[in-house]
Amino acid sequence: MAGIRLSGVRKSFGDVAVVHGVDLDITDREFVVFVGPSGCGKSTLLRMIAGLEDITGGEIAIDGRVVNELDPKDRDVAMVFQDYALYPHMTVFENMAFSLRYRGVARAEIRQRVEQAARVLDIGHLSQRMPRQLSGGQRQRVAMGRAIVRDPKVFLFDEPLSNLDAKLRVQMRTEIKLLRERVATTTIYVTHDQTEAMTLADRIVILNHGRIEQIGTPEEVYETPATVFVAGFIGTPPMNLLPVKLGGSGQITLGDRTITLPESRTRVIAGMPDVLLGIRPEHLIWHTGGEPPLLSGHAVVVEPLGSDTLVSLDIAGTPVIARLPPRLVRKAGEAVLLAADPENLHFFDRTTGRRL
Amino acid sequence: MRRAPTWPRHAIMLAVCLLMLVPFYWVIKTSLTGENIYAWPPSIIPVNPHLFNYVDVWYLIPFPRYLLNSVIVTIMAISGNLLFNTAAGYALTKQFPGKRWIVLLLLSCMLIPFQATIIPAYLITSWLGVLNSWLGIALPMLSTIICIFIFKASFEAVPRSLIDAARVDGLSEWRIVVRILLPLSKPAIATNVILNFIWSWNAFLWPLIVVRSPDMQTLPLGLARFLSVMEDTTGALFAFVVMVLVPGLTIFLMAQKEFIRGLTSGATKG
Repeated sequence: MAGIRLSGVRKSFGDVAVVHGVDLDITDREFVVFVGPSGCGKSTLLRMIAGLEDITGGEIAIDGRVVNELDPKDRDVAMVFQDYALYPHMTVFENMAFSLRYRGVARAEIRQRVEQAARVLDIGHLSQRMPRQLSGGQRQRVAMGRAIVRDPKVFLFDEPLSNLDAKLRVQMRTEIKLLRERVATTTIYVTHDQTEAMTLADRIVILNHGRIEQIGTPEEVYETPATVFVAGFIGTPPMNLLPVKLGGSGQITLGDRTITLPESRTRVIAGMPDVLLGIRPEHLIWHTGGEPPLLSGHAVVVEPLGSDTLVSLDIAGTPVIARLPPRLVRKAGEAVLLAADPENLHFFDRTTGRRL
Repeated sequence: MRRAPTWPRHAIMLAVCLLMLVPFYWVIKTSLTGENIYAWPPSIIPVNPHLFNYVDVWYLIPFPRYLLNSVIVTIMAISGNLLFNTAAGYALTKQFPGKRWIVLLLLSCMLIPFQATIIPAYLITSWLGVLNSWLGIALPMLSTIICIFIFKASFEAVPRSLIDAARVDGLSEWRIVVRILLPLSKPAIATNVILNFIWSWNAFLWPLIVVRSPDMQTLPLGLARFLSVMEDTTGALFAFVVMVLVPGLTIFLMAQKEFIRGLTSGATKG
């Protein structure tokens, strides 16, 4: 069991910098998910922690020991790869036992540890099969089993579910969550799927262009996104972001509509020339009278999902999506009036992208 | 749409195969009878076949000694190739300064005919003091450039994540090659073994230059000597040829599937 500390970690490939000074503290037994779009540097960061990539600058410490110069084998980490990386010429048992053999573990103990891991993952009946004889889900379990038997200080998962079909991915996600409760080890999990990040993580690290945009619990990054990027990345559909103009006495102008906000909400944006208003699709509600609506327009696209309906609108040239109860809007072209609780509005500096 | 019958195609292929096998059949038939190969009309079926020619070859000349020399030299050549080509092939899968120039150098060396290298090769062998020895005969055949590239292509086809997984599992570079890459490169190994077996087994010019005593002669040299010292040798000569051919054919037949996969690896999307 161990914590991990990254201090000013940088990585460049030639002249191209891909990770720009990442600082991060991961506590013992914490499950941290690196999430971000393709090319954001999350896998590179993971590989640097594993020792599979050299570090251009900064320091990585595992369990208090700086590991910059250590080989992967000496870092006591186990890794699960995107394509599982099972040795095709070895049986499931041999795959799981392989690393233990090179660490001088006694034969009887190897057998016991492999059988125990196989029991945890329910793959005991597969021990004599070759990887090619396994389904995607079974291969994934074996890959995790190979990591578990090592009993390492840190687990590293590099997009382990991205090769599975949608149904199996949900199932395996649940299994990883259950497994986590049984095997409490410090874990870093890389994914580009924000649902995986939200459901698995103790804390999420959102990366963009090799920089950390925000670190926080799933609730924090969802409810108080630190930047426009996080607001647009976390959540399905993402947060609506609308340019607004500030008026006097708590008024904002959104397209041709002027709305008065409570003073508590406008205080943060006072004096800001360029502001983006953010609101989650589920926080847009059907306007039923009283205060003037926040948004009004005509439905451009209506997507019934069963439990609710996604309605797309065009507000002064900016697309907006609302998640509404089913059957309120049935087809495109219908007039839509939407309101929102001012407490659910987010404001961002349009120039810096930072939350206000 | 009605499909065209396949039997004409098969008949043509069968005829071509038979045509290719005729020389082999003729050699075996003559080795069993010793009949005049210029006889007309030629007899298709062997007349009074016997194995005396094989017995003659075994006892009249030092065939076992030639065989031993050939086997040892070939084993040394194959072992050397597997060792050096594996190491060089793995090195070429890595990125390092000057790699491009090394690849170019290797490729350009392939354009130089062996005959052009004989004098420097002889001088080096002499300088090392291994003339007229098994090592001296095998020395220029201990590594072949084409086989380095066969290993390189094979290693590059192994997913990088497997190598990363092995590294995390605690394997050194050499063990990664031995425990992960080589077991996944059986076609490349088979190709190396077969090609080097053929080249080493059939080598004539270099052993002719480097060997000085009859007891170090290999089978091809023995065959040439056999022709010069024996008279009326048609049957025994052909028996000799069969005995030289059999090991090579056996190895090829045993490894032909892997051999063909090795030669065509990377040619199609896998």
